[in-house]
Amino acid sequence: MALIAPPDNSASPFEFRSAELRLVAFAPATLDPVRLEAGLRNKLGGGEHFLTGEQIALDFGSLPETPDAVEVAALAALLRRYSLNLVAARGGNKDQLAAAREAGLIVLSDEGMAPAAPAPQTATTERTPTLIISRPVRTGQQIYARGGDLVVLALVSAGAEVIADGDIHIYAPLRGRALAGARGDTSARIYTTCMEAEIISVGGVYRTLDETLPASLKSKPAQVYLDQERLVIEALSDIN
Amino acid sequence: MAKIIVVTSGKGGVGKTTTSASFASGLALRGYKTVVIDFDVGLRNLDLIMGCERRVVYDFVNVIQGEAQLRQALIKDKHCDNLYVLPASQTRDKDALTREGVSKVIDELIHDGFEYIVCDSPAGIETGALMALYFADEAIVVTNPEVSSVRDSDRIIGILDAKSKKAEAGESVKTHLLITRYNPKRVEGGDMLSLDDVQHLLRIPLIGVIPESETVLQASNDGTPAIHLHNTDVSEAYKDVVSRLLGEQKPLRFIEVPKQPFWKRLFGG
Repeated sequence: MALIAPPDNSASPFEFRSAELRLVAFAPATLDPVRLEAGLRNKLGGGEHFLTGEQIALDFGSLPETPDAVEVAALAALLRRYSLNLVAARGGNKDQLAAAREAGLIVLSDEGMAPAAPAPQTATTERTPTLIISRPVRTGQQIYARGGDLVVLALVSAGAEVIADGDIHIYAPLRGRALAGARGDTSARIYTTCMEAEIISVGGVYRTLDETLPASLKSKPAQVYLDQERLVIEALSDIN
Repeated sequence: MAKIIVVTSGKGGVGKTTTSASFASGLALRGYKTVVIDFDVGLRNLDLIMGCERRVVYDFVNVIQGEAQLRQALIKDKHCDNLYVLPASQTRDKDALTREGVSKVIDELIHDGFEYIVCDSPAGIETGALMALYFADEAIVVTNPEVSSVRDSDRIIGILDAKSKKAEAGESVKTHLLITRYNPKRVEGGDMLSLDDVQHLLRIPLIGVIPESETVLQASNDGTPAIHLHNTDVSEAYKDVVSRLLGEQKPLRFIEVPKQPFWKRLFGG
């Protein structure tokens, strides 16, 4: 807002703040631009999509061991056409990472990124308290439960985003996006008393729900979890 | 104690200014000293709807910037004795509105004995809209029965909950849903969201339903707030809204398709 802060002469010209950037890893299984393009078009479509504007880390980890030269610049251009900003790379061999560095990407160390293996839940005995939200989360609002679980006792509107490093419980309609296990915990789950979500994600595995859910799930109590790499939406009534 | 009420929506063209004009007039007709402020700096409209566009000499921004006294800028309404209009500037841009400036004007209005201060918000979620809602005690969220309007209303309710002065103080702005341009026939036909749909999506209390009507267009072209067009559905609906805001119980009207008289049904009139 237009509050004018009085000039403070004692202030340092800058400050360091701890910042954590959220990157989405893009792990191609091939470097063939035609196949990648077709895949992107198929998954994200033409216009705006759920990853629009996201920062992307190129993950070489899923590529077969081939000595192919990587055309990072061309790949960046391709991603940009889908409104994805390639900013970093990780997980490759020396040549691949050199190519990435040459193209101006930041090379991340593998430890820096969590979602690798079943490692993440280490011996943290201290428990982050659950974040409890009792007011509606409206369009354009974002709630992030860092390091723990999130409980929402009111509506999550379409266009709103609830994120937790642990589980997400919503005791009201979930109409927006819910991202559990945001730092890679693949055992996280999402629970809601009324499933109408736009996007759900567990441990980085996304699914858009633009096709209508079957009647057994739509507007019903449901949970979402990862079974291997597959995101499962299950009516809660099915369990009992 | 003065009450500050913002009329807002996020989306443009849903009837904020029409509502501000009729609602403020309705409060004045009930005897309350009322002022309606146009926050849409650069695109002023309220003066046209109120039919006082030829009497605008000084405006809101002039007052904020100290170029005019508040009483020089206030225009007395031609229909109601207790009503004043504070017009927006046509020439300045919206950054002319500062929080200190707006606060000063509002304090002065309260000091002058105004009981209701109605803030007509511009569309969008930028400076003008944020300024209009910042000081609000209550909000009327104007929504058309269609999905994009509902989505934008949801956004603005979120902003009221997070960025208003009340929210900063840990309190909440009392938020009312007003559905405008409601056409029961099109709801029955399935090409318009129903009252229940909109309420189900937004989950805030309903303060009224204004039917879709030619009256609104006539009223704006004529520079007369629709509430003054007596014996029309729109006028009656706005009067109900004012009553409900004042705490009276009024059943909802104009939400069913009008039943055709027997002889019309008989002869297919």
